Amino acid sequence: MIQHLAAIWKFRHFLNALVRLDLRLRYRRSILGVGWSLLNPIAMTVVFTVVFAELLGGGNYRTYVPHLIIGMAVWGFLREATIQGCRALIGNESYIRQSPLPYGIYTLRTVLGQAIHSGIALAVAVVVTAAVQGKPDALLAVWLVLPAVALMFMFAWAMATVCAFVNVYFQDAQHLLEIGAQILFFLTPIIYTRDVLDKRPGMSWVADLNPVNLFLDLIRAPLVTGGPPPADLYLAAAALTAAAIGLAVGTTAWLQKKVIFHL
Amino acid sequence: MALIELTDVSLTFTVHRHKRVSLKEYLVRGLFRRAGQNTVSVHALSGLNLTIRDGERVGVIGHNGAGKSTLLKLLAGIYPPTVGTRTVAGKICSLFDISLGFEPEATGWDNIAYRAYLQGESPASLKGKIDEIAAFTELGEFLNVAVRHYSAGMMMRLAFAIATAIEPEVLLVDEVLAVGDLSFQQKAQARMTEMMSSARVMVLVAHDLGTIRGMCNRVVWMQHGAVVMDGPTDAVIDAYVASVTGPVHTPHVGAVAAAA
Repeated sequence: MIQHLAAIWKFRHFLNALVRLDLRLRYRRSILGVGWSLLNPIAMTVVFTVVFAELLGGGNYRTYVPHLIIGMAVWGFLREATIQGCRALIGNESYIRQSPLPYGIYTLRTVLGQAIHSGIALAVAVVVTAAVQGKPDALLAVWLVLPAVALMFMFAWAMATVCAFVNVYFQDAQHLLEIGAQILFFLTPIIYTRDVLDKRPGMSWVADLNPVNLFLDLIRAPLVTGGPPPADLYLAAAALTAAAIGLAVGTTAWLQKKVIFHL
Repeated sequence: MALIELTDVSLTFTVHRHKRVSLKEYLVRGLFRRAGQNTVSVHALSGLNLTIRDGERVGVIGHNGAGKSTLLKLLAGIYPPTVGTRTVAGKICSLFDISLGFEPEATGWDNIAYRAYLQGESPASLKGKIDEIAAFTELGEFLNVAVRHYSAGMMMRLAFAIATAIEPEVLLVDEVLAVGDLSFQQKAQARMTEMMSSARVMVLVAHDLGTIRGMCNRVVWMQHGAVVMDGPTDAVIDAYVASVTGPVHTPHVGAVAAAA
């Protein structure tokens, strides 16, 4: 694995150039350009708040808006990184056929691009949170969540790598994942608060076992409340990320010599 | 120092008739154990032993489907051998399908950068070379246009210019030169000869025997995935020509055997 990472580092200029190209192309024909990264989460939050604040958020928009907008930023990153990551190997087939680069570089291209896009969304979310709450706690709490963000990035990269390899063999993996993501979105306390699940008998395990919820607790909770997350959550996230990395390393080692014949 | 060593290398493809299998098809087939194989084993390379040393310019000739391009991809490290070991020392640069590895929406200048980075350059090292590369392509203002508007010849000029500008120790070329116009072919020959004057290795696959005679000092003749003859240029080419123009010879792809 160290060898793989060293090889990726060796080709960092290639990766860098392509990530920049992807970002440029993403907003190539839109008038607002990168402004869409800023407008999208705000627009979604406004709609959800107006429609659902009464029903799902306890009617208090000062707590609902931060809960929603940060949740959407975190969810958006995890969802897009894995689903776009599915296409990483198929989409980069022409490079794979030319040069024996480490496969992790292609998934990293997708995840890094998405991380920049979501990073902007998260920054906007933090600013909106501070504005709505009327105090700068959210801005100060950014340092508390950086380790969790790093863990989330590595988790997303590992999952994207696994999905990319699987998708080469079964093209409908991406579609299944999209359906799964849709279901998971509603099972995760993003647009509602966690107590909605806890109030129902026997449903709190849904939130407990949900990896997205784990990252939400590590990133959203400190930003909304201003205090550090409990240490055992960090351990759980580290264990989860390690497991995901292990799965990615195993998948790569098993399939990297075979996948070229299936592209 | 450049050295290529293949010991007892074989490469077998398992070609699936339906390239992209959906999960549903996979499960259904498993459930009903439907008879009728949908995979075919192609023995692209069989028992190859090849050693190439510094200063050798090797041409690879043979009928269509003999395994020449597969051999080149194996040397480049793109296909891992099924059996045997492959050792290639030195910086490799490959010129395969010239339309591959371009970002169609980016300009010629940007693509020079991407291809150079793909071959291991850094922005600092590229800065000194980029003007020279651009001059060699002779594309002028077209470098500001998105690559998807280029013709095949223009793309080949771009790819070739970048590939040869970074001083590879092992250069692998797969039938790309045929696309360029006459003046470019002469330029390319001159550039390759210039590169060959230092101790490096080149492996060239071409159907144009004149090109091979002009550029190579050793020729490998392949047939059905195996090496038939390996020696000095003129001897091997003459034998190949004699075999083709002699009694009727029907080439077929590799050594195809349907899996049992």
